[in-house]
Amino acid sequence: MQRRVCVVGVGLSDGPKTPDMSATMLEAQSFRRALDDAGCEKRDIDGLASAGYGGMHEVMLAEYLGLTPRWTESTSVGGSSFEFHTMHAYRAIQNGDVDTVAIVYGNNQLSASGRTLGTGGGGGRGGMAMPLPMAYEFPTGLTLVGAYAMAAQRHMHEYGTTPEQLASIAVQTREHATRNPRAMYRDPITVDDVLSSKLVADPLHKLDCCVISDGGCCLILTTEERARDMARTPVYVRGAAGGTTHHSINAMADMTRTAAATSGPKAFAEAGITPRDVDMFAMYDSFTYTVLVVLEDLGFAPKGEGGAFVTDNGGNLRLGGALPTNTDGGGLSCTHPGMRGLFLLCEATRQLRGEAGDSQVDGAEIAVAHGSGGWLSTQGTVVLGTEAA
Amino acid sequence: MPEQPGGGGWDETPKWLAPRPTPEDGEYWEGARRGELRIQRCTTCGMHQHYARMLCSHCGAQTLEWVTASGAGTVYSFTVVRQNGVPPFNERLPFVVACVDLDEPGARMIAAMPECPPEQARIGMRVSAAFRPATDEYGFVDFAPAG
Repeated sequence: MQRRVCVVGVGLSDGPKTPDMSATMLEAQSFRRALDDAGCEKRDIDGLASAGYGGMHEVMLAEYLGLTPRWTESTSVGGSSFEFHTMHAYRAIQNGDVDTVAIVYGNNQLSASGRTLGTGGGGGRGGMAMPLPMAYEFPTGLTLVGAYAMAAQRHMHEYGTTPEQLASIAVQTREHATRNPRAMYRDPITVDDVLSSKLVADPLHKLDCCVISDGGCCLILTTEERARDMARTPVYVRGAAGGTTHHSINAMADMTRTAAATSGPKAFAEAGITPRDVDMFAMYDSFTYTVLVVLEDLGFAPKGEGGAFVTDNGGNLRLGGALPTNTDGGGLSCTHPGMRGLFLLCEATRQLRGEAGDSQVDGAEIAVAHGSGGWLSTQGTVVLGTEAA
Repeated sequence: MPEQPGGGGWDETPKWLAPRPTPEDGEYWEGARRGELRIQRCTTCGMHQHYARMLCSHCGAQTLEWVTASGAGTVYSFTVVRQNGVPPFNERLPFVVACVDLDEPGARMIAAMPECPPEQARIGMRVSAAFRPATDEYGFVDFAPAG
């Protein structure tokens, strides 16, 4: 009989700007806060996952934190890495390979590098080795934002999606951020504000793009049995799946469809749910288009109708809408320290515990956290639920 | 050289962007220098691919031959890059970058379109390869509106 797996602790570091903290300090601070949240101790952690800094980072982090884990995980597939970590930890805990796993990420991207991630020419600058496909793309001047922009442009061409519909995602997400004191940007914005912000790469404007911040996050998972001895109401992992379709945008066969079209149905089937059952959605909003295409791929809207879904009903991503989305203000307005996948799981957990304050989705019992990594390359879906769900 | 939409020229290529041709892909870069778009064709499934690989990315066979593509293609999608902080691109803004489906089935590539004014770029537009020699060893393949 497989063991049931729960999220028992979440921790957020200081943020969104922490010029006096290194990436590792942000990781350590969020780890400590997650331990305190769970009501467990460092000695209870026998598994550690992290990603984002090249080889053996999780091993270095284990040493820094004074951990000697029997299970480590470092799947590094971009911003969705942490949905993959959760999936792998879920399976490993189910099967008894490990009991209690901490997934940790932190980055001082804003303080260390400024806002250059999306338009800085990618990793090749300064003679760093370029991954093979990038040797062909970087010399064209294409940016990370530009790659997503191409995909958005194709969706607009095929389905008539409009810049106004994309902008509405940013507007609704900002509305959530106005209620979150931790959010980087908290002033309400309008569709006109988005459309009159600078075009970075057509059709994406500055306000269609996520922020760059500092920040760290930690999630602690354990067995249902151990969760009973901990401080918080456990949130259950109900299903998880991932998928990869390409690395560089050149190899994305259909720019209007991501691997979420396969990871979503698989995770939902495992959880025994349909899209209609989802009370709250934590979606990796690297760009407004990322949200729109994945809403379709996960089945919240038919293919091509994501734009209408977003704006219908006065805005379906709002509190009270069909699918309250990124209730902390998302990457678009709250926090995006290079990779955001772990923060999605944290916000989904907060909602299912009923701890989201002014942004609480009433009676939330099922939440989906979905990460998108690379250039829409890797997609990971995790379904979380309350015990009653 | 026709007038370009951005301020800077495309003649100078910074060293960090210089390709390092290998036995695997040297044929592509050398072809670009001499004005030929060289891609691989699989003799098993008949499909094409860009960039060069050991195996066919469509069927997995190791039966690849180099062919010279017609250079004709169709824009699958594009963007107008209006912000890029890295020299020399920051001097060329704004410029069009397109994802081009070559007429040879299976082959797609990302390419700059330095001679295409941003307002003229369209999905579905017919384009043709334009070659930008860089050194004695390699060149770059751009695309331009066909016609």
